[in-house]
Amino acid sequence: MTAPLLEIEGVSKRFGGLSALSDVTAHVAQGEIVGLIGPNGAGKTTLFSTLVGLHRPNAGTIRLNGKNLVGLKPHKVAAAGMVKTFQNIALFLDSTVLDNVLIGGLMRHSVEDARDLARRCLDRVGIGAIADKFAHNLSFPERARVEVARALCTEPQILLLDEAMAALNPVEMDEFLKLLRDLRGEGLTLVVVEHHMRAIMSLCERIIVLNFGQVIATGTPREVSRDPDVVRAYLGRSAA
Amino acid sequence: MAVIQAILDGIMIGGVYAVISIGLTLVFGVMGIINFAQAEFLMLGMFVAYYAWAWLGLDPLIAAPLAFVVVFALGAAVHQLMIRRVLQAPVVAQIFLTVGLLIVLENAALVMFGSSFRSVTTPYQTSALQVGELFVSVPYLAAFLMSVACGVALWLFMRASWFGRAMRATAQDPMAARLMGINADAMHRLAFALGVALTAFGGAVILPYLTVSPTVGGQFVVLMFTVVVLGGLGSVAGAVAGGLAVGIIQSLSALAFPIQLQNLVLFVVFIAVLALRPEGLLGGSR
Amino acid sequence: MRLGLSQRQAALIALALVVAIALPFAFDARGYTIRILCLGLLFAAMAQAWNIVGGLANQMSLGHAAFFGIGAYTSTLLLIHFGISPWLGLIASGVLGGVAAFAISLPTMRLRGHYFALATLAFGEVMRVIGNSWSELTGGPVGISVPFAKPSFAMFQFADTRTYYWLMLAAFIVVTAVFVAIKRSRTGYRLQAIKENADAAEVIGVDTTRTKIIAAIVSGALTACLGTFYAQFQYFFDPDTVFGVASVSIRVAMIAIVGGIGTAVGPLLGALFVIPLEEAANQVFSAQVAGLAQLVFGTLLIIVILVEPRGFIVLWQRLVARRKPGAPS
Repeated sequence: MTAPLLEIEGVSKRFGGLSALSDVTAHVAQGEIVGLIGPNGAGKTTLFSTLVGLHRPNAGTIRLNGKNLVGLKPHKVAAAGMVKTFQNIALFLDSTVLDNVLIGGLMRHSVEDARDLARRCLDRVGIGAIADKFAHNLSFPERARVEVARALCTEPQILLLDEAMAALNPVEMDEFLKLLRDLRGEGLTLVVVEHHMRAIMSLCERIIVLNFGQVIATGTPREVSRDPDVVRAYLGRSAA
Repeated sequence: MAVIQAILDGIMIGGVYAVISIGLTLVFGVMGIINFAQAEFLMLGMFVAYYAWAWLGLDPLIAAPLAFVVVFALGAAVHQLMIRRVLQAPVVAQIFLTVGLLIVLENAALVMFGSSFRSVTTPYQTSALQVGELFVSVPYLAAFLMSVACGVALWLFMRASWFGRAMRATAQDPMAARLMGINADAMHRLAFALGVALTAFGGAVILPYLTVSPTVGGQFVVLMFTVVVLGGLGSVAGAVAGGLAVGIIQSLSALAFPIQLQNLVLFVVFIAVLALRPEGLLGGSR
Repeated sequence: MRLGLSQRQAALIALALVVAIALPFAFDARGYTIRILCLGLLFAAMAQAWNIVGGLANQMSLGHAAFFGIGAYTSTLLLIHFGISPWLGLIASGVLGGVAAFAISLPTMRLRGHYFALATLAFGEVMRVIGNSWSELTGGPVGISVPFAKPSFAMFQFADTRTYYWLMLAAFIVVTAVFVAIKRSRTGYRLQAIKENADAAEVIGVDTTRTKIIAAIVSGALTACLGTFYAQFQYFFDPDTVFGVASVSIRVAMIAIVGGIGTAVGPLLGALFVIPLEEAANQVFSAQVAGLAQLVFGTLLIIVILVEPRGFIVLWQRLVARRKPGAPS
């Protein structure tokens, strides 16, 4: 059995007195689509931010292809192959869609080549037509796709999606889910944070559940939806 | 003993620095901008006190409240006409508006008053009290006591008056303050006017031992900024602590260095604090 | 490198260039106007160098005088003590200016907006105090004279002011070329990304620290080189002039802002407006009243900031757009 693509071991993160992540351990294999769920404030975004190096964990290791990424700045983590999207969509609003996307390509390519790569990424994600629109003029589904295209342009091995489908209606969400499955089919590994249970359950092979910064369950969607700890976390004591 | 004397002098001067600098931190705390022209209002306060002395024979310490009132009115006007308009503008606009104001105030003063240095003469100017082996300069002491009085008045205002509490609310959470019915724009105007008026008050009380000219502000710019950055931008208590610290640092460095290099010590402290702990030694609100 | 200019833009630039090169012949070579044009071009170049950090990186530096002064003193001291040609001194100035920019970048790396402006202001003042105190090196507050022997290209000394004009013009063109090159390079794209959202930029692979340092070093080095130009033009300077907050730091920033921050033509527009205006004000007013020219200068800055902080060029675009109904804003 080959080693997992991403190994998170014992990661903890404190902010002052607040423990945001406690001894988080998880693995993601190459080609998996893993869901990361949990109530609000469970630490999902903090975990993503820690994985890409925006925060430095107080303890634990984060290995990508066996290499420990702890202590590396985010741009080095991106170079190693892991990149995340932002929950509140952090596009460069005063730039065009194309200029937004090509930034990721500048790590390994010239401006010209990055621009070509960016166009290909936009096409791949289905929004090649809006390449010259300014980012502040986009609809929500367009913004979500630009975020994905921008991440793709860094030519990552593993993509961490933070509530990318938050503002989508059911039809848009289904289209987005198809896109994600296609991307996985091309070799990308995905970790997805979402609140839409239907989306997560249908998309992911495996789910990790976080609450109060700790992993309280992992397993298939079925297993996890029946886990009493998970039900309690979402619905409270009486429902379990 | 020289060291203790220096520390004593430093505390007294520091108290004044605190009052001079509180305005800067108040403006930043309530409005989020740095008023690069703050030191020019010091200069204006000094001139008001000077002319009160020259034309009315008033001692600068008595003229200090007058300087406060005059500059308060001016500050309110400046806010209304200019500052208010850049609060939502990009940072470049905010910075260079007050930079432009700095240039305008200094040169307007140059045009109106001429470039000569002026000083007042007061009966107590060269007196000193002797306490054991230490000398307490009377002008320093008077300035210090006035500053303390001003500081206490400000403290009472911030704690006990509706305006003071409303201003603090605006600083802490503008949206909530608005929802409570507080007019943020009015609070900004109050904060700005109050801030520059306090600086002017400080200028008036130090007039007995300094000379005034339109360019005197320049000597105080980095000093004021060092005070507020040390104490934490936005923290009034920090400005007090920072003022005392800067007063003492300056006083002690006068023992070791010639005057030009004393400023250098302050600048280096300033850059070091910005680099290592921008939120200040006491940790500001932003 | 393709320039990507429209035919109309290319024609305008060519025309401007021809006019610029021919201009000195219209004026008396020993006259006052040509000296003003020289200073105008020099400050335009300085504003363009500032534009690299102010416009591209959105870092409001109020301390560029530090680099300017370092450049002026470096080449002058090398000339005085070792007889080294100011052209070589120019290189030394550039190197030291770059080093100084690197030095100030480190403690200010995480500072934004007002804090950054404050820190750079302090840095400029530190240099000014050092310049005034270290008299053995710099001559102190009384200033330093650049030795003038005989006109010689090798020694960067000319009797004909027109030669200085063309040199300043060349300097402006070079600095502008560097500005444009950076803007279109990977560094330029990265700076834009950092300006808009530094964290997002980092996450998609931008080394924000390195990118900002590169911009700072280039800006500092170029500004220092222009300090050498100044020294070889004025033949005399003192710390308060070359390290001055108002005389240099604020002025170069203001020129870039008034003309159009972040644009290649902004600094030129700004300088063409500000420098002659200032000189005119000096001529008309300062003879009688000190400070009136600067008062005009400060008032102009405030007006521009209140009306259109993005500068004349955007103001122009707004006016033009208004005349064409339906054009995008």
